[in-house]
Amino acid sequence: MASEWQPIGAALSMGLGAVGSGLGIGMLANGALQSLGRNPEARGPIQQSMILAIAFTEAIAIYALVVAILILFVL
Amino acid sequence: MFFKPKIILILSAVLSVLVISVLGGALGDSFGFGFLGGPMPFISIAAETVFHISSPFSYDLKNSTIMLWIAMIVIIILSWLATRNMKNIPSGLQNLFELIFQFWIDTADEAGGKSARRFLPVVITIFLGVLIFNWLGILPGVGSIGKVETVEEWVHHHSHSGHCADDYKSDQTLAELCVLEEEHNHGFVVFDTSGSINLMPLGRGETTRAPLSAIGGYVPEDILQIKKKIKSGTAPENINEFIQIQKNIHDGKVINLYTKESDGSISPQSYLGKNTGELIPFFRGASTDVNTTLAIAIFSMIAIQFWGFSSLGFKGYGGKFINFSHGPINAFVGILELFGEFAKTISFTFRLFGNMFAGEIVLISMGFLLPLIGMMPFMGLEIFVGMIQALIFSMLTLVFGVMAVTSHAEHEDH
Repeated sequence: MASEWQPIGAALSMGLGAVGSGLGIGMLANGALQSLGRNPEARGPIQQSMILAIAFTEAIAIYALVVAILILFVL
Repeated sequence: MFFKPKIILILSAVLSVLVISVLGGALGDSFGFGFLGGPMPFISIAAETVFHISSPFSYDLKNSTIMLWIAMIVIIILSWLATRNMKNIPSGLQNLFELIFQFWIDTADEAGGKSARRFLPVVITIFLGVLIFNWLGILPGVGSIGKVETVEEWVHHHSHSGHCADDYKSDQTLAELCVLEEEHNHGFVVFDTSGSINLMPLGRGETTRAPLSAIGGYVPEDILQIKKKIKSGTAPENINEFIQIQKNIHDGKVINLYTKESDGSISPQSYLGKNTGELIPFFRGASTDVNTTLAIAIFSMIAIQFWGFSSLGFKGYGGKFINFSHGPINAFVGILELFGEFAKTISFTFRLFGNMFAGEIVLISMGFLLPLIGMMPFMGLEIFVGMIQALIFSMLTLVFGVMAVTSHAEHEDH
């Protein structure tokens, strides 16, 4: 099963997966910072929900990472 | 003020640790230092077997299972200490636990009103469990203290992976060479002794993996020739040497390994007496095993389905998924939601597993690249990620529970 294309596949899976996740986290931070600028008193709740949402977004990249690890070490 | 002896002492200590760690790690390795360089870690997705019993039933004790038991003991002791003599005005551990419970009661009230408080036993159980699993998994020593597995164990674990199965049936010698080629990425040497295949990972810790052909100075063709001679009954003149090589490999020792220089030439290097094999850690964070996270996810989803059925009734909750009375679009949406329930389980599983496993790999790689100091910032990150993942897992259970007990009719009123 081992093929010389495996590293390419793993790198592609992680790289493309990270694109979406990175964009998502950037958009999230953008929204959170804007609402912070408009409403600085709401720092606590905004920060908490931002971190939660970032964790969800990051999970997509983590799926890609799991796939990349699977390609590299298991397949 | 910069010339105070204390400050100079601290600064020089920090600087020397920095220099030592940079030179001793993988970076310094390419300049000829690398004295702190640990072995290149072997990353295994499945939990490793620490202990195997075959009678009265076959059971592999995995290292993540041990960690799970330790985590259970820790949780039980912590809870016992916190509730041992409870006071009206809490202090210490009781205060911490009350803080956690108060946080969850507030969150539940916010998410689904007072009725959502009945989800809390499950939710807080998941929170405390996952939190302790995650945090115990990043303790120093977890994943790095272990034993080197023997050849027999290695064969036992890996021989079933089916490399060149067809060739194996037709020709043992072919199979041997085939596995030699197959496993060269992992640096495994394969020898065939009396019908059973022995596979041997090369010595850990070498920066350049020795080429397979360099084992004992023999290239695979030589070994093939020698084996053919043995098979046909004529002993070659160097049979004793060959037997010694086989014996050394079987004992977990590799002799006369050669390292490949950067210009392609091969120079001898003695690995005599060096133990070879993969490191099997005694402990492995419970949440870095996909079975643990899958078990928690299934538990959580069953609890959610139970809440849905018990509060909306069989017809009410089942109608969310199988619903033909409101036209084909609603029927399709219902089926999508049915699949969504399974997707939630998988998402639960891999979110926790992926985060914790990735954290483990980051820690391992930083220990490899920058020993002594490289791990420190990532340890802090892992403590944070461990808490966030526990929070997310239990928060999602709570939110999905609230969603499950909300009937469709209520939804449309909003």
